[in-house]
Amino acid sequence: MITFGEFLGSYFLWRDPMIVGAAAGAICGLLGVYVVLRRIIFVSAALTQVSSFGVALSFYIEGLGLGALSAAVHPFALSIGITVAAAVFFALKKDYSRVSREGIIGFGFLIASAAVVILGDRITKGSHDIASILFGSAVVVDPADVYIIPGIAVAAGAVLLFYMKDFIFVSFDEESARLFKYPVGALNAGLMVMIAIVAAAATRALGALPVFAFLALPPLAALYFTERLKLAFILSAAMGVLSAVLGYFFSFILSLPTGASMAMCACLFFIAGLLWREVRKRV
Amino acid sequence: MKELIKLKDVTIGYDGKAILGPVGLSIERGEFAGILGPNGGGKSTLLKTILGLVPPVSGRVDVEPGIVFGYVPQNEHFDPLFPISVEEVVSMGRYARVPAGSGLSRSDRECISRSMERAGVGRLAKRTFRSLSGGEKQRTLIARAVAGEPDALVLDEPTAAVDVRGEAAIMELVESIREESGAAVIMVSHFLRTAAKYAGRVILVDADKGVFREGLKSELMTSGALADFFGLNFESALDSQTTGPGGDGA
Repeated sequence: MITFGEFLGSYFLWRDPMIVGAAAGAICGLLGVYVVLRRIIFVSAALTQVSSFGVALSFYIEGLGLGALSAAVHPFALSIGITVAAAVFFALKKDYSRVSREGIIGFGFLIASAAVVILGDRITKGSHDIASILFGSAVVVDPADVYIIPGIAVAAGAVLLFYMKDFIFVSFDEESARLFKYPVGALNAGLMVMIAIVAAAATRALGALPVFAFLALPPLAALYFTERLKLAFILSAAMGVLSAVLGYFFSFILSLPTGASMAMCACLFFIAGLLWREVRKRV
Repeated sequence: MKELIKLKDVTIGYDGKAILGPVGLSIERGEFAGILGPNGGGKSTLLKTILGLVPPVSGRVDVEPGIVFGYVPQNEHFDPLFPISVEEVVSMGRYARVPAGSGLSRSDRECISRSMERAGVGRLAKRTFRSLSGGEKQRTLIARAVAGEPDALVLDEPTAAVDVRGEAAIMELVESIREESGAAVIMVSHFLRTAAKYAGRVILVDADKGVFREGLKSELMTSGALADFFGLNFESALDSQTTGPGGDGA
């Protein structure tokens, strides 16, 4: 086990992944409140898998040796493109001819997961590299991600803040929003596109498991801790950051898998929220 | 009186499938119109067609340009997962006059406060909407509709989840808002008594039988006309002020 002093002395090792994790935790926590309130938690799970599929597909195309086409396919761009397309589909398509929305989301999750495994088996790069790129190790991050992830987080956070009233309105009462001629389709699609971009970028850097955990668990915990919606946003973002930072810290000093450690910290916040709610009900 | 809403040869339905029509209807400013009929008879579909939320299968719905609707949906329309306060819910009614991307001004906030006081929910402003009783929720939703300073107040079974005393209080509130503001009121209800007491115009809807009748209360709220429509004896129902066949007291 590494001491706290040794941990602090190794800041050059954990600084970048901590920044990326904290930024991803904050923005996932904010967006996750909408994910939970709109009851689309499994959409975010499906999107993280679709994002992985986009990365796998780009490497598969690269491995085919199609010259200029292979070179032109950037893993990050393809991943974001495919994830955004899936998000827009989930946002705008509500009628699936007698198949439930959950069924379609489950189908999206499973087909993307299976395709990732199949493509991973056909990709010529080293299996460790592919797994790291597809699922993220969160131990070390691409230097560019130190700018990309916080940049995406700040941009998405600014949009969420500016259109907060509108996103809450459309999420709470879509019918009245349509009655008042609000751009419901654009707001729904915009929210899902933001979730897709954040999920795609953060999944590539940290892995699908912690990103899914950040999108679901801090918001659920926050909604247990408070009865005020605006405070829930703040608490959720804070718990997202803490899940990432504490998760990385414990993985560093206890030599645990980083993504799983972050997800476990988010789980602990959820359990704390659940206990808080039970205690409050009894008092 | 000025015509606010006009339906011309409108067939109502969902996803292009007709359920009733063609029908014609006009509602004037200041008028109180009650939409009555059995469960599943197309009342809410007609209401949503008037609001423009469900497109007509055929025909035209003309509304006065710039009309503002104040809409009170059914209680169960809202997800209790949202920890949203009464004040936040009422604020949403004001969004009828505040476009997307804009914030509420001081005058908007004053209007929201007045609406809460008017509906008797000012003291509940910080409470969560989900923690309210059925009657308090309806008052909050009426305050929300009023906050938009509507030309037409549209209510979908506003007294369905409240007791008799609560029902009377809510209907008195709606009626006083109509009188003060001059807004038209269009209300779906199961309760014949309510329609008999407040509505000037009555609309009887039964999509299963393909029946649509509209006219003045004096023409349609007679035991004979109602017996013909519902196929039941209504003399006692109207006399004793109980509920209609789609309501609790049927």
